[in-house]
Amino acid sequence: MRRQDATKLLLSYLGEQPIVSNLGPTTDELWHLGDRSRNFYTYGGMGLCSSIALGVALSTNEKVVSLDGDGSLLMNLGTLGTIGREQPANLVVVVWDNEQWSQTGHQPSHTATGTDLEGVARSCNIPKSTTVSTEEELETVFKEALASDGPWFIVAKIEDVEPLPVSPIEPEVNLHTFRQSFTGPPVRLGQ
Amino acid sequence: MPIWAERIVQTLKESDISLVTYVPDINIHQATQLVNADPYFHLVSASREEEAIGIAAGGYAAGRNSAVFMQSSGFGNCLNAIGSLCLPHRIPLPFFINLRGGVGEFNIAQVPLGRGTKPILDVLGIPHFTLTNEDEVESVVKGAIKLCYASRSIVGICLTAQLHGGKRA
Repeated sequence: MRRQDATKLLLSYLGEQPIVSNLGPTTDELWHLGDRSRNFYTYGGMGLCSSIALGVALSTNEKVVSLDGDGSLLMNLGTLGTIGREQPANLVVVVWDNEQWSQTGHQPSHTATGTDLEGVARSCNIPKSTTVSTEEELETVFKEALASDGPWFIVAKIEDVEPLPVSPIEPEVNLHTFRQSFTGPPVRLGQ
Repeated sequence: MPIWAERIVQTLKESDISLVTYVPDINIHQATQLVNADPYFHLVSASREEEAIGIAAGGYAAGRNSAVFMQSSGFGNCLNAIGSLCLPHRIPLPFFINLRGGVGEFNIAQVPLGRGTKPILDVLGIPHFTLTNEDEVESVVKGAIKLCYASRSIVGICLTAQLHGGKRA
């Protein structure tokens, strides 16, 4: 499964639901394939994608999708414990797992050497955890995740392919646009 | 309950801050237990300070004002969350930081980051204010939060042993 194709597939099932995307190619590809005001793109904050998505999920009743990565999540496994503790019914975490840090030279990540992220999530009290390796499997579980209470945790095994070009995102503008999609335009200074 | 803690929590409410994330600290506990007892707030216990920042940043991004509580040692855990998430996106979060390493400190391991927190905030260009007296809590916290949103910047509000009595060995 290629992340670009899988991202297109997820977007085809999403309306206005917010997405938080992991830094690097995940953010770049989401921008190229479906830029929208409901995308919160991270450009740094490595490891925090699903933590940010948890904060969004605790602040809205809409389904919230986190597009995380194996290397990033390994930096902040504690957030799975926090998701398991908070039990946000509206959170869907998808981890693009290419079993490597592709941006830094394709070094094998811990998921290439035995770490089972689905197992970690299950042991953190996220029973709706699964691993998929084809677009068909991803489609089936993602449809179910959008239609039923979570939290959901989906490890999607992907190939290592050349990513799309870096996207021209201004983080400050992105935050402003994303936030206003929830609040509407500000009515007073500093809002 | 100490007046300083009640005033901080009341000021959070008056500032429409309803999501509070934290990593526990014995002195900050006096404020966070008030937050926890009040249904106006959602208090999220994080496993690490940078995670607390990520959750609070997500809350703000979705239109909910948020604050973070941590100890100065934990401030050392979260510098990249500040430098590569909060500052580039200009996410205004008040950070309540309990400064260890001051008068009455018994633990040498708490001294370097207790003393280093404010210089690090300075290097990053983040305004900060230090509370040593109960009488100044309301005006300083209210003013710091106003500055936080007006400038869309993190603001550090440092709590000290002079304010709350510190931790005993």
